[in-house]
Amino acid sequence: MFHTEILEVNMGPQHPATHGVLRVILGLDGETVVQCKPVIGYLHRGVEKLAEHKLYVMIPPLCDRLDYVGSASQNLGYIQAVEKLCGIQVPERGQYIRVILAELNRISSHLVWLGTHGLDIGAMTVFFYTFREREMILDLFEAFCGARLTTNMFRIGGTLEDFPPGWIEGTRRFVDLLPSRIKEYEGLLSTNRIWLERTKGVGVISAEDATNWGLTGPPLRGSGVNYDVRKAMPYAAYDRFEFEVPLGTHGDTYDRYLIRMEEMRQSARIIRQALDGLPGGDFRGKVPKKIKPPIAEIYHVIEGPRGEQGFYIKSDGTEKPYRMRFKSPSFVNLQALPALSNGALVADIVAIIGTLDIVLGDADR
Amino acid sequence: MSVGTLVRRFFLVEMAQGMWITLKNHFRPHITMEYPRERPALAPRFRGVPRLRRDPGTAEELCVGCLLCEQICPDDCISIVVDKRPGGKGKMAKSFIIDYERCCFCGLCVDPCPTTPITAIYMSHDYELSDYSRQEFITQREALVDGHPLKRYAK
Ligand code: SF4
Ligand code: SF4
Repeated sequence: MFHTEILEVNMGPQHPATHGVLRVILGLDGETVVQCKPVIGYLHRGVEKLAEHKLYVMIPPLCDRLDYVGSASQNLGYIQAVEKLCGIQVPERGQYIRVILAELNRISSHLVWLGTHGLDIGAMTVFFYTFREREMILDLFEAFCGARLTTNMFRIGGTLEDFPPGWIEGTRRFVDLLPSRIKEYEGLLSTNRIWLERTKGVGVISAEDATNWGLTGPPLRGSGVNYDVRKAMPYAAYDRFEFEVPLGTHGDTYDRYLIRMEEMRQSARIIRQALDGLPGGDFRGKVPKKIKPPIAEIYHVIEGPRGEQGFYIKSDGTEKPYRMRFKSPSFVNLQALPALSNGALVADIVAIIGTLDIVLGDADR
Repeated sequence: MSVGTLVRRFFLVEMAQGMWITLKNHFRPHITMEYPRERPALAPRFRGVPRLRRDPGTAEELCVGCLLCEQICPDDCISIVVDKRPGGKGKMAKSFIIDYERCCFCGLCVDPCPTTPITAIYMSHDYELSDYSRQEFITQREALVDGHPLKRYAK
């Protein structure tokens, strides 16, 4: 009877909920989303090409700027790939220090996610509390390496320096404080009816679809697929610690929220174990003066805060990589956005982008 | 919906719970800082702009012009011209320029510096870098060693 047509609407490139510069072209039928097309590339800096012109030691600062919320993981992944390529051994203490810092970074990244996700959905208060706790982690980072966000904290063969005096006690204090603070966030959100309405049954993806899309990290585990690189292919010292991989059942936004909350607790548990069992000795192994790997290819994956972070290096025997490629979880998770948002309401798109926890610096590289 | 949930919904239990948490946080110490008036205490390892320093004992310039920092800098922001040290043996930097505009504060330039017991180049605690023209960021050796090229915009 009526003439209807699909209305195309641009969301972004500048939109507070897109966590960077992301443009989403929405096809709307009334309030329902029938088409969804993410357009990326606004933050493309050509990091992979840039890396081909730099010595191996110069590349970690570039990696920091991929996923700037989880820069310790990026550092760790790249440096471990180079170590694997050159056969450099890292002493046990160095491995433990790396695990502690990577897990602290996971907590800080999840705190940023929780704050901004809450902000997107309309829960303003959580944002202030999570950023207060994140500040403590950034202070620890500053005390350890001198920088807060783009940390460049590891070096090939270990770390540059040991923990400064008082750092371990400070970390212990934070790790002991965190569970009570997580409880507060959960008190604000987990049973809040607005939060439940906005997250339950929103952005559902089945385990099979999640695997087929290649999702990793919390979006994959939210659908109940038990895959965590820390368990599946332990790197650094992760095989020495006891921790659980939380899994969801429904694959909706609420499950992914619960998973990230639990992951923070598990990270705190890992840090506590690592601090208790911190071995003595050197924190940096023997490293040749010139990093000159043999002619080889390497692909190394780690579990970043957002999922599986891959680093591919092709070496031609010189001091610079012949080809670099970063496999970023943000990019892979973002491509599932159309699948997640089909049939959702416009307002839910904000929640779905938030639940994927993308960092556009990582997706565009 | 179970009776329990219904009762909780009717009496706005989750709302009261949220309000209680907010109230509790109201009495925690403030953590915000009124920035220009209050300044944060920086960690000893804080990485501000890279600078050069003198030997604390002899007040001689430490840099021996080995060019290692120039080579490792990922942003190519250091450029050095080496010359003989006047009156002494060894070399020194005749001209040492750091372009602060390009520096990413990574701290890599400090790693290979060979001078002992302290490195000639170091990450200082200066971080307020605003200026009126881009030219001002190209910092010469004299300013790096002695002067304080950062401007203070105090009232
Ligand atoms: S801090 Fe990094 S970017 Fe800045 S001068 Fe040193 S090496 Fe270059
Ligand atoms: S590495 Fe140190 S000694 Fe060598 S040129 Fe740089 S500042 Fe001078």
